[in-house]
Amino acid sequence: MEKKRILIIDDEASFTRMVKLNLEKTGAFEVREENKATSALASAREFKPDLILLDVIMPSLDGGDVAGQIRNDRHLKGTPIVFLTATVSQREAGEAGLNSGGDLFLAKPVSLETLIHCLNENIRKTSSPDESVK
Amino acid sequence: MKSQPSNAKRKILLIEDNPGDARLLGEALSDAAGHSFDLEHVKDLGAALDRLAQGGIDVVLLDLSLPDSAGLETFAKTHAAAPEVPMIVLSGQDDEALAIQTVHEGAQDYLVKGQVDGRLLVRSIRYAIERKHSEEALAKERDLLHTLLENLPDRIYFKDEQSRFIRISRAVSEQFKLSHHWQAMGKTDFDFFTAEHARAALQDEQQVMQTGQPIIGKVEKETLPDGAITWALTSKLPLKDKQGKTVGNFGISRDITALKKFEDELAGERNLLRQANTEQAQSKAELEAVLADLQKSHEELKAAQFQLIQAEKMQSVGRLAAGVAHEVKNPLAILSMGLDYMMKNLVSPDANISLILGDMHEALKRADLIIHGLLDFSVPRALDLRAEDLTALVEQSLGLVRHEMSASPIKLVRELAEKMPPAWLDKNKIKQVLVNVLTNAIHSMPQGGTLTVRTYPRRLQGGEIDRDAGSRLANRFRTGETVAVTEVLDTGTGISEEKLAKIYDPFFTTKPTGKGTGLGLTVTKKIVELHGGSIDVRNRPEGGVIVTILFKV
Repeated sequence: MEKKRILIIDDEASFTRMVKLNLEKTGAFEVREENKATSALASAREFKPDLILLDVIMPSLDGGDVAGQIRNDRHLKGTPIVFLTATVSQREAGEAGLNSGGDLFLAKPVSLETLIHCLNENIRKTSSPDESVK
Repeated sequence: MKSQPSNAKRKILLIEDNPGDARLLGEALSDAAGHSFDLEHVKDLGAALDRLAQGGIDVVLLDLSLPDSAGLETFAKTHAAAPEVPMIVLSGQDDEALAIQTVHEGAQDYLVKGQVDGRLLVRSIRYAIERKHSEEALAKERDLLHTLLENLPDRIYFKDEQSRFIRISRAVSEQFKLSHHWQAMGKTDFDFFTAEHARAALQDEQQVMQTGQPIIGKVEKETLPDGAITWALTSKLPLKDKQGKTVGNFGISRDITALKKFEDELAGERNLLRQANTEQAQSKAELEAVLADLQKSHEELKAAQFQLIQAEKMQSVGRLAAGVAHEVKNPLAILSMGLDYMMKNLVSPDANISLILGDMHEALKRADLIIHGLLDFSVPRALDLRAEDLTALVEQSLGLVRHEMSASPIKLVRELAEKMPPAWLDKNKIKQVLVNVLTNAIHSMPQGGTLTVRTYPRRLQGGEIDRDAGSRLANRFRTGETVAVTEVLDTGTGISEEKLAKIYDPFFTTKPTGKGTGLGLTVTKKIVELHGGSIDVRNRPEGGVIVTILFKV
């Protein structure tokens, strides 16, 4: 089975490393870390992920802006984005999500189990024939 | 005036020119046994007047026909020379009419010569002396009365039974503008005063005459026909005859117009003072009312300020919480992921490793829970409101704290209304509230006790909303509104009044370290208020705490 490609964009290098280690250990995922929001679009274009895990609050550029860039990229715009937020504020997360097209968000800290479940759900959704056509 | 004793020696001056008549009279006097008279005899008027001028004569026996005078003139001259001496006129049978006239002029008696015997003469002399003395006494009395009536500035009057004037004093004459007192005779008050005053006076006088009781010191307003008003202090008394029969009335009145004016001025000033006092009292009352209003406003302002400070505190804590949450949750996320990796991949012969990892995981979850709590009130949340049955939510919440309750011997008393009116609630949030309150109650009774939980609908009374400014009922509810009430009562340790004010403060806790986060009631209140409800925590008189939560239905 082909590994699903996950791009994690978060300024916390320790976190992205932990996520990468955990996910890749399952054998089902290939993870690329990006700790600079400003490089996020370039990384995505290069890596062509099946799903992007995106931190909401980052220095220089926040998750909403990054999501906007990705949605505006014709090659990347179908890529599902799961927001990761440390401020479990519905308003903040909700607004960011809505502005960027409305995706799922996960609150930090998230358990590995929840994370994997969420990834599978969203990758499957977008891989279905109907969604591909879109 | 006392008359001389009858046995005193009387000096009699006989004025008689006829020797025969003189001798007869002398004999008649000497015949009168038991009476001692000293008789002096003169033969003409000139000698008589000389003798009278010397004085010491008690009575005069006067013949009108003398060599140097005759008739009425003789009497007039003699009487003028000694008006105080009683005189008995001696007349012949032919001039008795003249003698009678002398009696009218002041003679005490007359005797007809030839008809006089000793006894008659003595009696006449004695009577003449007595009568003269009485007249003098009377005259003195009359003079006194006259002095009184003529000089006293007080007004004196005498009236008959019909209240007609018999006599008035000069002061009354002057008041009536009469030149002589007799001009008032037979007239009444109606002739001198206004009818109104006259009627009132007449009424008083009739009362005095009918009852015999005097009116003393009555203040009367007198209005004269020319409109002049005077004030008088009047006393009226019944006028009685010798038999004690009331024959009229009399009185005396003093003009107190000046006094009255002065008194009125005083009364006026007193009224002004009283009015000033009243006004002062009124303005004092008004001031007090204003002060009370101000105090009330001040209290309200203080309460509002307190609420603002609380809100400000909440907001700062909220902002702080959001910042802290972000900063803490990131490292927590790293720890969580790291622990997940180790728990899945670390194979160690040391059994403690997995135990330690498990404990660390639990600790991480607890830390996350605290952060969650912080965030719960840091920002307003969208509520998932649905029509909920509070009793059902209470039942579910009780299920969630069953484990806590089993730690100590707590008796649970359910007083839950079966049919509660539905309230618009976010059931998960409300369960969080109820679990919180129930947990607090359970924790307050470590040695056991009774936990009572009630739900019931209630109509709000006007008074309780006004009274209960502390829980801000007035801002949330209206009088007559029906509310869904939830009450949680414990029999635990209670909360000191000092601490009661702080229970909603973030991070304030009465529980031992590790037992409470200090966020429970802060979040609870936040949630209740987001629902437009109110929460009130107070000590029960019998011990323990009662928490009352109200929601609109």
